[in-house]
Formats: sequence, C-alpha cells, structure tokens
Amino acid sequence: MAQRICMVSDFFFPNMGGVEEHIYNLSQCLVQKGHKVVILTHSYEDRVGVRYMTNFLKVYYLPIKVFYNQCILPTMIANVPLIRYIFIREKIEIIHGHSAFSALAHEAMLIGNLMGLKTVFTDHSLFGFADASAASTNKLLELSLMGCNHCICVSHTGKENTVLRARVDSKRVSVIPNAVDTFSFTPDPSQRSTTQVTIVVVSRLVYRKGVDLTAQVIPEMCNKFEDVNFLIAGDGPKRWLLEEIRERRGLQDRVTLLGGLEHSQVRNVLVRGHIFLNTSLTEAYCMAIVEAASCGLKVVSTKVGGIPEVLPSDLIYLAEPNVTSVIDALCDAIRDLKLGKTMCPYQCNQRIRGYYNWENVSSRTEIVYKTIFQESKQHLGKKLKNYLSSGVWPYLLVVSLCYIIIQFLEILEPRSNIDIARDVKAKRKKMD
Amino acid sequence: MEQWEKVLYKNQKYPDNYTDNTFLRDLKKNIDFKEVTYRDAFLGANLLVQEICTVMGFVLVYIYLYNEWLPPNLIFNAFNCLTLVGFLLHKFHYKNKAFLNMISHDLRTVLIYIVFGHLFSPVLYTLTDTISTDTIYTMTSFMLLVHLIFFDYGVNSTIVSNSLSLSAAIFASICLASRLSSAHQAFILITIAIEFFLLSPHLRVNANFSLPITLALALCDLYFLNLVSVFVTVIFLITISFINIVCPLLFVRYQKYKENIYGPWDEAVVEDADSTLNLW
Repeated sequence: MAQRICMVSDFFFPNMGGVEEHIYNLSQCLVQKGHKVVILTHSYEDRVGVRYMTNFLKVYYLPIKVFYNQCILPTMIANVPLIRYIFIREKIEIIHGHSAFSALAHEAMLIGNLMGLKTVFTDHSLFGFADASAASTNKLLELSLMGCNHCICVSHTGKENTVLRARVDSKRVSVIPNAVDTFSFTPDPSQRSTTQVTIVVVSRLVYRKGVDLTAQVIPEMCNKFEDVNFLIAGDGPKRWLLEEIRERRGLQDRVTLLGGLEHSQVRNVLVRGHIFLNTSLTEAYCMAIVEAASCGLKVVSTKVGGIPEVLPSDLIYLAEPNVTSVIDALCDAIRDLKLGKTMCPYQCNQRIRGYYNWENVSSRTEIVYKTIFQESKQHLGKKLKNYLSSGVWPYLLVVSLCYIIIQFLEILEPRSNIDIARDVKAKRKKMD
Repeated sequence: MEQWEKVLYKNQKYPDNYTDNTFLRDLKKNIDFKEVTYRDAFLGANLLVQEICTVMGFVLVYIYLYNEWLPPNLIFNAFNCLTLVGFLLHKFHYKNKAFLNMISHDLRTVLIYIVFGHLFSPVLYTLTDTISTDTIYTMTSFMLLVHLIFFDYGVNSTIVSNSLSLSAAIFASICLASRLSSAHQAFILITIAIEFFLLSPHLRVNANFSLPITLALALCDLYFLNLVSVFVTVIFLITISFINIVCPLLFVRYQKYKENIYGPWDEAVVEDADSTLNLW
C-alpha cells in the first residue's frame, strides 16, 4: 500500500552530510516504490519555496530564519499554520523527522501528532550523559519522543543510547543502518601508487572527528616508514593543526591537504589510497568507512560508538582511541598490504553491496511505516497523560496551546479551503 | 534459530525492533565515583562561609566608618596591625631563603601603594559621588555577590575567575567609598578592602588555618553586627549554620542517588595535540 510520507529535518541539500544524504536516498527509494514523499526543511539563503529534485521529489524550503547551528528557533507554536497547511495540502499520513538536533523535525512531529497523523523519528547521533547541557537536551528529546509512534536508530549502540536518553520502550525502536551507494563508490586500483603506500583521511576537520589524534599519528608514521604518504581531504576549524604539524616536521612532500571537497569528488580521492584512516571520537554509524571499504581500501578506525558493528573483522582494523593503538593498527594494515594479504577491491565492493544498500534500508523502513499505520489513534487526554509521565508539567501547556491553535485554525482556515496538491507521478524505473 | 549478533552488516532473521538479552550490557555506572565524607563536605562549605564572613566584615567596617561609631584611625590601625601579624605568619610559614630580599620588595610595594593611594583617593572618593545612594547600595550588593560566585574556593571549575572576583570586590569598595565623609576615610576603606580581598586569601589558602580563621571571623562579625541590628544578626547566624552544617549533611545523604552512566556512546577523550605541538 502506498503511503504519503513527509520527511522533516533542518538538515538538507544544499547542506551536505550523513543526515542529508540519508534523507535524500531514502526518499528516492521510497518514491520508486510508489510512495508519495515530500521533504520539509528551512530555507537556505535564497533557496526558499518549493523545489523539485530527481524523480519529482518535492522539497519545501520554509521561510524560517536559522537561529543556531543550522537550526531554526524552536518556538513550538509560531510555525503551526504553515506546517499544518502543508500537511493538509499534501494529504500527509506519516511524518518522519530526522536528527535529534533538528528543531524543525521536533516541531513538525508534535504538530503531526496533534493532527492525528503517525510520526517516526530517526536518530542519527550519539549523546553522552555527563554534563548539564546533555541532561537538558536528553529531557527535551524524551518529551518529543513521548508522542512519537516509532523510532529508528542507525546502529545497535545508537539504539541503546536512545533508549537510555529518551526512555522510549525498546520495542518501539528499530535499528536500520545507513547505506552507501556502492555504484558510485567503485574501486579503481590503477589510480594507486605502485611504489608508495597512501593513507587517506576524509572527514570534516573538527574535534569530534579526532583531528588531534590524526595530527599526532601522522609524524610518527612518517618517521616509522619511508614510503608512507598521507592524503587528507576535508576542511574545518582544526585544519590549522594539520598544516602546523606538516610545517614543523617538514612533511610538505608527504602530507597532502586537499581542503573541502564536493561529495561527488570523494570517490576520486579514495581510489588513490591503499588504507583509509578514521579517527572519530564518537560516531553512531560512520558512512565514511563504508564508502572507503566500498572503494576497496583497507580500513583502520577507532573503536568508538557503533563503528565495531559496521564492518566484519576482515575488512577493518580496529584501534582504541589513542595514538599508540592507532599506530599499531596502521602498522598491521601496512604489513598485511606488503605481504599481499589483500582482498580484491572489486570483490570488496561486491561484499559491501550485499551488506548495505538503500533498497534494503527503504524496505525495512516501509515495514516500520506499515506497523505504525495500523496502530490505533490516541485521543488528546491519553496523549497529555503520556507527557505527564515525563515529570515536566509545563510542557503540557505547550502541547495544549498547540492543540488549541490547530483547532482554531480549523475554523479560520478550514480544510475545505486548502488546495490539494496534484501528485506528479514519476516514471517507475524498470527493475531487472 | 541462529544466535543474534550485534552487527549491522548481516541481514539477520530477527525483526528490526528485536531487543536481545545483551542489550545495554556495556552500560557502566559511576566509574570513578569518589565518596565525599561529611568531614570533606564540612571543610568545603567552611571555605564558602569564610568568604561570606569576610564580605560581611568588610560591610561592617563600612557601616562603622559611615556612622563614625569608631574613630577611623583606630579601625585603620587595628586592621593594619592584623595585616602585619598575618604577613609575618605567612612569611614564617612559607620560609624563603631570600627572606630579606623579599622584605625589601614588599616594603617598596607598600610604599608605592601608600603614596599612590593617597594621591588617588580624592579621585576615587568623588568618582561615584553623583550616583544616588540607593543605586550605590544595590550595585555594591550585586558586586559582592559576583565576588562570592566567582571566588576560587579550591574547586577546579570553569566558573572560577580570580580576576573577576577581585575586580568586583574592589569596585564595590570604590562605590561605598564615595558615601564616606572625607578622602582619608575613603583611603582607609579601600585599603581595608585590599587587605580583605587581596591579601587575606593568601593566608587563608592554608587548610590548617581555615577552621580557626572562620570561627574568629564569624564571632567578630556576630559581635559587631549585634550592635548594629539584632534581627540581621539572627539571620546571619541562621544562614551560616545552614550553609556549614545542614548543606554538607544533605550533600552526603543524597550522594547515593548519584548515577553517572557510561557506555560505548561516550565521546573518547584524547590528549590535546596542542601540547605535543609545543614539544617540537
């Protein structure tokens, strides 16, 4: 049965990242399976209004100002008329919010919930419990997920984290990993150097991606091996650190910094390397290592978050997040490489294709949609009682106010006055 | 049925929302939990009470100067003698080899302070003269509160800022100085403020002295405050006993509810590369 789904997140194209890619690819697959999908996000500079992407995927860029860190100001009530209008206009049945940091997703999920629609939430990140800011954000997430029908996490560790943070029933949380387009991340061994070993790093150069660790590993590795070169792609606030180390150690000819890259160019960088190094300090899933493995590289990574679940042990060298352990893992990888204990890159690509593909992700997501679609509707009293159990009583006022505004809008802007958008059907791709 | 594995790359025969028995197995609680005894909590709270008593003492000095209940020079000399005793105690406690050298350096500092203090006290005295008394008192209370909040009580925390704390206290003293009747009295008040907020913490950092000093300060405060207002004295007494006796008791009792959760989702902590950068 075809469903009408609305993906909501503050993070979408032209922004680039894991969440954005997930939303785009999932939507594309769902469209091809015959579902109706629209995407809701805030405006990016002059990109305001409705845009169409491949296969007539409709994207609403709502005219809401960005407040902090690419997120809108969470007012809870200010955007009710606009979001309600779109839900009715597109005859939405399921709201699918993405990313815990996205205020727009939480707002839309609350509105959808009060309008009697079904809501799903995908959590893409891990969060600690140590400090005051974590404690308060976790409480907010708990409030938001109380009204949510189902949650999706990208790894089992992510599920444990979400269940603890937001106190959701573990039966209401599914684990559906991300996927990688293995057709665009294909190996090309001819690009590799035959005399030298190239270690590739592709990540945003920020603290959480472990730039400090990379910066300490690079000079040690260059000392240890005469024939090891580094190729680093990515930009960010910590780029100066790598440049400084390269400068001080005189490694200009061995460490190449490429700067920020388009996502489409990442593959061309990956295929030039033998080994991929990831030094993230926390990661729910880590698409980068899967992309690298798909290009046939040996992957060396820190053992944090959900990373140990992502690749089978013969495709990855895991290290503890400290300098000596990472260097040991890199040495193991280089030794195996020199002994010729490598897997054929094309075979590697095939294996990853079997593990992760958007086809699989979207059909598993469809199952979630199907189950929540059969869940019975809750009336307002029951919903409010649910919120009460969180212990944050003032939130009931927000929810009630939101509900009253929606009821008020039913009179002010009745459904009969709202135009229903026509569906533009994409040509179904022939699957063979 | 096949055993469930915590991996993502296998398409397992279990539904996606399946929860295994191993769920949350890596969860750890209170890894480096250090139990605080009542003694520790009491001594910690004692430092806060000590600072509150210091602030109270300073305000009392102002009140006595303002109302001229005691001759200004008597107050001045009394505190200077106390400071001298404290200075000698401090010197003997931290015996330096270059004792004489340091003495000449200290004497020079005192001389510079006296000359410039006298030179500038008329300026400082009239600096906030035009501001109304209510504003001055509100500002002073606020600044002394800032002083108490940002004071270094020996806890390693980002909120601690010695310079902010000291500046707030000195600002408060300059505010109050403008209400006094002469530039000389203003000089006395500012000198005493410096003795209280800048010099006395050096003596008070020693943990052995901490308890007797608090006791002496609190008794002095209570005696002189009692002459000003009995009601405020009672409130002051209740406040300091609440902070020093009841609060540590509550802290120790509620410690058992502390639950820090750790697991694989925590951000790894790495050595900062900046420090290694400096080695080369």
